[in-house]
Amino acid sequence: MYLTKDEERILGGAEGESAQKAMELVVALGKIYNAENLVKITSAHISGASYKTIGDGGLRYLEDVSKDAKVKVNSTLNPLGMDRDRWKEMRITENFASKQLKIIELYGKMGVRTSCSCTPYLNDNIPSFGEHVAWAESSALSFVNSYIGARTNREGGPGALAAAIVGRTANYGLHLKENRAPAVVIESDIDDSLFSSSLLGQAVGMTIGSKIPYYRNIRPGVEEMKSMAAAMASSGSVAMFHVENVTPEASAYDISGLERIHIGKKELDDALSSVNTTDDIQLIAFGCPHLTVKEIREMASFLKGRKKRRNDVDIWFCTSSEVRKKCPDEVRILETFGPVLADTCMVVAPIESNYQRTGTNSAKAGNYLPTLCSQKVMCRDFVKLMELVL
Amino acid sequence: MSKFSGRTISKGKARGIVLKIDTAFSFLGGVDTSTGSLKVGDNENICNKIFVFPQGKGSTVGSFTMYDLKANNKHPAAVINKAAETIVATGAVISSIPMIDSVDIDILRTGDDVTVDGNDGTMELHNVKIITSVSSALLSDKGILMLERPDDASSFPGVWSLVAGKIEENESAADAAKREIYEETGLSVHDPLISLDPIFVRENDVIWKVYPFLFRCGSTDVKLNGENKNYKWVVPENIEQMCTVTSTLSAVRKMLSELAGK
Repeated sequence: MYLTKDEERILGGAEGESAQKAMELVVALGKIYNAENLVKITSAHISGASYKTIGDGGLRYLEDVSKDAKVKVNSTLNPLGMDRDRWKEMRITENFASKQLKIIELYGKMGVRTSCSCTPYLNDNIPSFGEHVAWAESSALSFVNSYIGARTNREGGPGALAAAIVGRTANYGLHLKENRAPAVVIESDIDDSLFSSSLLGQAVGMTIGSKIPYYRNIRPGVEEMKSMAAAMASSGSVAMFHVENVTPEASAYDISGLERIHIGKKELDDALSSVNTTDDIQLIAFGCPHLTVKEIREMASFLKGRKKRRNDVDIWFCTSSEVRKKCPDEVRILETFGPVLADTCMVVAPIESNYQRTGTNSAKAGNYLPTLCSQKVMCRDFVKLMELVL
Repeated sequence: MSKFSGRTISKGKARGIVLKIDTAFSFLGGVDTSTGSLKVGDNENICNKIFVFPQGKGSTVGSFTMYDLKANNKHPAAVINKAAETIVATGAVISSIPMIDSVDIDILRTGDDVTVDGNDGTMELHNVKIITSVSSALLSDKGILMLERPDDASSFPGVWSLVAGKIEENESAADAAKREIYEETGLSVHDPLISLDPIFVRENDVIWKVYPFLFRCGSTDVKLNGENKNYKWVVPENIEQMCTVTSTLSAVRKMLSELAGK
């Protein structure tokens, strides 16, 4: 692999031991994927923030690396295992909370923004078209590839942190234009609702695995794009998709010879049954990925004047503290049903200590709740889930 | 010297005893970080071992599991993969555990004494010797010639092989192949039609570095010299049903397909 003088210098230890290790990691990963060189990045988004997901090994690693490492680019962090202020309400243990707070502190010490959301592209990490970035969090990286036209591979947590520390990542995969071309055309005749978009993503991910799809005949907004991205990245491993008239690069490719796949009602039903495993729930959790201002407003307008009738079901609304701050009146309405939690979610919080059956309107959560949280899942749209408790 | 070149993944150098598993491995859930005992197979311990497996798999948290092992001083001395992937590579680099990949792990056995050099991407086996040899497929109108080795042969007893033998000092591989063919079968051949890069075959404390050849022969009048007990002309498909020296069939197939491509 070709390294510049500057990169060789970091690899030689000129910027400290942690930067040297970080460069070793970036180079090692580049080798695995046959990268010819490194590319400078403008931002990073790092996964591995919840104590539940990284454990004591991760905590130890952060303690060591934060001794002398600083990030070189704008870097944000994925959701935590708890709301920083309301963890007692979530029935988080003292031990978990103290370790979680330590993790935030260590990332902060390295210069990482500790806003802790899976939708940083709405708040404090907004790349521009054509920029090279190093993002972990499969839904967010797919969103910035597909909606913005920034360029990132599916980075892992430590890889994204290492890239942030050296300001570079290995130049392969989706950093190269020739690898961003669509491989299959998706023809669908579904409605444009948020829930249908999530199921569409689920159906497509299940069908195409890791290929790059090109969607026609749909008009997704930001919310639908984030739900599709999340579903496709978890039912398959799709890191980028094109939507006609939405994805900046979509018109650059000739799709006439590509394989076409039709997704209709039957495929959506199959996608839904792939994540539905219970008819009875203890928790309903929204915000996978994190709720936007628009979603919170729509939920509040539906719930205004209504009352929660069942006490045996808890409700969580998960979002970023940024978004929570932006709509205080709507948050007040939602709070009469359940806590509006910031910078955490039902997938990375240790909900398995208190719940066994969870309702969600997100296919992504439907994929991960059984494995990461030992939950049985009910997957329905927002209104149908809320009708269970009204 | 029994040294093999692969690719550096994580720097550093270590010598230890090989512990090998034959399936893809996940550090998360696959090992007890406080003891180094595996939770798969026979619960062997990877602490201070040269840990050999084809490839990593599973959760990305596995990188931190390796870091935990290192902090607890229960980590493997080095890791060898057939093909590295992100999780184990990341774990090895952040934990400063030497690691190489792109080596033929089929020649390694649990219990081998091996040095892994992550700085130049090599591994050295201390308890085996390499013997260079030839293995020739003779192609006639009747098919490929297979020889049956005596039950008391010093290497590969009782199995079927091509016409094989050691290369002698100052002898080229092609000359050795022709000499062995004449000695063992009485047949004379012209230059080989096909030759392959050497393949490595493990047998006890020997690694055979084998140069494969394919020769055409006009005569099928075989006269065994006593080094083999039997012979047979077979079509390549039938080699599959015979008990042969490792890699015989794959080498024959590769040479025949190269011949067809000429």
